[in-house]
Amino acid sequence: MVTTETNHAVPVTVLTGYLGAGKTTLLNRILTHEHGKKVAVIVNEFGEVGIDNQLVVDTDNGCICCTVRGDLIRIIGNLMKRRDKFDHLVIETTGLADPAPVIQTFFMDEDVQTQTSLDAVVTVVDAKHIWQHWDSDEVQEQIAFADVILLNKTDLVTEQELDELEQRIRSINALTKIYRTRDAQVEMENILGVQAFDLNRALEIDPQFLNESAHEHDETVYSIALVELGALDGEKLNSWLGELLRTQGPDIFRMKGILNLAGEDCRFVFQGIHMLFDGRRDRPWKSDAERKNELVFIGRNLDEARLREDFRACLV
Amino acid sequence: MAANWQDFQPIWRGELSEYVTAIAWLPNGKSLVAGSAAGEVMLLPTGTKEAIALQTATGQSIDCLAVSGDGRFVAAGGQDGTVKIWQINSPAPELITTLENKPAWVDHMAWSPTANHLAFSLGRYGQVWEADANAIATTLNFESSSVLGLDWHPDGKFLALCGHQGARVWHIDDWDDDPQWLEIPSASVAIAWSTDGRYLANGNLDGTLMMVEWQLPENPWVMRGFPGKVRQLAWSQPMTAIGSPLLASCSAESVVVWERDADESIGWASQVLEAHEGTVQAIAFQPDTLLLASAAEDGWVCLWHNAQQLVQVLDGAPNGFSCLSWHPHGQLLAAGGQNGELLMWSQSAAGKGFSKH
Repeated sequence: MVTTETNHAVPVTVLTGYLGAGKTTLLNRILTHEHGKKVAVIVNEFGEVGIDNQLVVDTDNGCICCTVRGDLIRIIGNLMKRRDKFDHLVIETTGLADPAPVIQTFFMDEDVQTQTSLDAVVTVVDAKHIWQHWDSDEVQEQIAFADVILLNKTDLVTEQELDELEQRIRSINALTKIYRTRDAQVEMENILGVQAFDLNRALEIDPQFLNESAHEHDETVYSIALVELGALDGEKLNSWLGELLRTQGPDIFRMKGILNLAGEDCRFVFQGIHMLFDGRRDRPWKSDAERKNELVFIGRNLDEARLREDFRACLV
Repeated sequence: MAANWQDFQPIWRGELSEYVTAIAWLPNGKSLVAGSAAGEVMLLPTGTKEAIALQTATGQSIDCLAVSGDGRFVAAGGQDGTVKIWQINSPAPELITTLENKPAWVDHMAWSPTANHLAFSLGRYGQVWEADANAIATTLNFESSSVLGLDWHPDGKFLALCGHQGARVWHIDDWDDDPQWLEIPSASVAIAWSTDGRYLANGNLDGTLMMVEWQLPENPWVMRGFPGKVRQLAWSQPMTAIGSPLLASCSAESVVVWERDADESIGWASQVLEAHEGTVQAIAFQPDTLLLASAAEDGWVCLWHNAQQLVQVLDGAPNGFSCLSWHPHGQLLAAGGQNGELLMWSQSAAGKGFSKH
């Protein structure tokens, strides 16, 4: 009786970027590329096929699901009532939107979870004009949440300026992939089918970021990577992570990690968006040499020394 | 098996070209109206007469439809943003009004139980259309999100809209007056007044159910522990021994039935009805009885005697059911499926006089 046919989840790409960065150009490239497929585009705050972008983080009880308004769920639920479902869903957020509530919807709603799979957050950055808005919350959030960033309009800036921009983006988000583009020209396989939210995918931290021994956190939002050998005490880890999400959830934009739990032959992988946490046992470790813990936090007001110390305290 | 139980037997089967999004009986019980994700709106007589297409497939989903209490009007709305209203008591149905609201979607609608006033949702707004004037009487601003549900009080005096942060209730005598606000720390996705108008219940995204006695809205009951969001609510017409109706709620694969307890410290006692193996999409009480029907994505419609004992399982939509509607006299049950199936069952004639109270 249970449905078995055509039960594949529809991939979803979340497209962000400040006004005028080139989102629409990229969207048109996606639509051209997906020619012949059914692509639904949900445009945030634009007419009815829109979603709300505000998130009132209820820090008293830390319950994000209470604060996602249900609009996106309503729209996706409505779109999915088709025998011939969509092949791909693109959610274009407005330039001023915080992408967090959109991403959280894919973690917290049971219907959205079963019917769709979040592929990646793609952020388009105007390489020349981003500096005017660099300190705005929107720009910082859009960079912090991105799995893929296009440094667009490279023709308007020098190589040196691009290098500087790339470095500053890296210090905000050590996990993102960066591509330099003109007119948002990018290989489609670099932005579609990325499966950035798939826990089976390896954690890929920019090696250069890991090699730097000390990080100056010049940006308001920044990345912290913890790499530690040794096995973790599951209970200690649980209570530490629980406490961390409870007290600093609103400041942690994204986190990802691979952990070596004591007494386990398998890796434990996890990711989080603010207070939402998604983790599970992964494949077995290939060798003892591979056994190490790697965590990345992207957020603000995070105390790197304290995080490292507290994490080490969870080691057996 | 309940004593004297008479099985429901399949009596009719039809098909729309897509997911059946909504069905409703005419009050005289002679026809069923059905809408689909392909945009069809069909009038299906129960006898031998031909089905009438009020609207053929448009490619844009019909998301809601409703029949006026006096049976004169059928309204339908959906993703093309139009609300169409047909007058159906004339020899041939006649489209009398088309309200254009592009690019808004129309997801929810309901006729006032006491007048030919149609309430429907338009994004963050609700509107009320009056048949006599053939005009929009008011536009209500829900403000905090899209309208995710709406319901009229049974005496027709109040209209409740729900969404993010709870429900707002307007009095029909003064649409411009500020609505009464029932605050909920989540988004409310289902709303239903009890059949006696005494209670207002909200099913919420965070897996809670909130209920208030309308005269005492500041003292709500909050029920927790649901396995997922509380999708749908249904109140029984018959009252229990202490004079309250039963409330059925559904969440994930469970149906939970609430009964007000004589003991105030208990408040509402719950009973979980388990049989479904897929998300329950619709629940409805048989008119005048406590027989509860639940339709789910597992392809089953379960019938629960006294809203507690499973007495029969109906099938016919292998990819899942989407909606349910009881015939106004209760002998017929109709359900729609996710692949366009439309089914009707009848409790055999031998069941006449059978009482389930």
